[in-house]
Amino acid sequence: MSVRYAILGLLAQRPRHGYELRAAFEAVVGGEETWSVKPAQVYATLERLTEAGWIVEDCERQEHQPEKRVYHIAAEGRKALEEWFQTPVTLEHQRDEFFVKLMIALVSGVGDPRKVIQTQRVFIYRQMHAATTLRDSYDPKNALAQILLLDKTLMHLEADLRWLDITEARLEEVKRQPLPEPEIRPRGRPRKREH
Amino acid sequence: MALIEAKNLTKIYGKGETAVTALNGVNLAVSTGEFVAVMGPSGCGKSTLLHLLGGLDRPTQGEVLVEGQAISGLNDDALTRLRRRKMGFVFQFFNLIPVLNAIENVALPLVLDGQPAREVRPKAVAWLQKVGLSDRLENRPDQLSGGQQQRVAVARALVAEPALILADEPTGNLDTRASDEIAALLRQVANEWGRAVVMVTHDPRIAAYADRIIFLKDGVIVDETRLSDGAGHSVLTVKEKAEAL
Repeated sequence: MSVRYAILGLLAQRPRHGYELRAAFEAVVGGEETWSVKPAQVYATLERLTEAGWIVEDCERQEHQPEKRVYHIAAEGRKALEEWFQTPVTLEHQRDEFFVKLMIALVSGVGDPRKVIQTQRVFIYRQMHAATTLRDSYDPKNALAQILLLDKTLMHLEADLRWLDITEARLEEVKRQPLPEPEIRPRGRPRKREH
Repeated sequence: MALIEAKNLTKIYGKGETAVTALNGVNLAVSTGEFVAVMGPSGCGKSTLLHLLGGLDRPTQGEVLVEGQAISGLNDDALTRLRRRKMGFVFQFFNLIPVLNAIENVALPLVLDGQPAREVRPKAVAWLQKVGLSDRLENRPDQLSGGQQQRVAVARALVAEPALILADEPTGNLDTRASDEIAALLRQVANEWGRAVVMVTHDPRIAAYADRIIFLKDGVIVDETRLSDGAGHSVLTVKEKAEAL
């Protein structure tokens, strides 16, 4: 979803070639390690955007070389982009893999929940160290965008650590409470309600 | 050999029924160039540990070794000398002298050690430049921001060329940005300038700068984790790092 609109926005900035768009996208999102896109995905997106009439394709003649295709944004595309900016982004917090692991550790009796928490805590600290190191390697005078992105990562990791502390402190309480169980529904076809 | 080592370090305050065990059999070794963070809830014994390592307090049991030498055998004078020459301290509230400017504050430990004033000044200036305060040399503490004051304190801790820096909540009184700068500076002190740094903090974000974290709880080390190889390189695999960021 975002790749499509990012491409659209990059074309609003100026007309570009396909190969150039991929590099531009990866630069914006913080490098190909963070979010890499395959060339095929870029070209498929460009094709869809062209079909939708959001962008137009232009051929650039070159001497002694095959002609290059340049993409421009169309009026419809500009409108779509404006709509995108008016829509908030849904962030995923509720669906949490670690939470599931911890709950299963509590009910299965196989893993030690405290160890599960500590393993995660150590991993988060290591991630924070890596993010901090990378952040310090950037110069705020010319790489502020990368620094801000890493700040966001660090703030989220910090929040995760805080949550681990709180959860660990209340682990005994959680254990004493029945964990969520599904409601048991009768099997088979539901009976017709009698009036 | 470890630069500083704690062996079975125990500290009990009070006697009999009112006795409180602040530290219980802690073992720890820190090498040159290593940045170690000590973390834990308040009252876990982390400040006690730092005070014992720095010879500011004496253990009930166990031993602190600096470069292999037990410091418990030293009398108060010898201990003071050892602290002045081998250790630098950084505190939460900077502890600068208000009437002295940055150069004079940094030079103070050398002056107290009896070094002549004309030799002391260039050393103080050099350290202030290294911590990024070339343009604040003549400013008094009240003319400096919190972050800048803490930089002066770091320069002061380093001026006697100690092998060990002990920092007690060095970012506890700073905003986020200044905290990050001081933590990055302490990392540089260890990894680039080859000092051993032991820092007590309750702030996870600041602890994440360290090469190693020691988790203390109720006076006992409950866990220990390595974050970097000691040269500031993350211990995460490339794949883990990519997924994390």
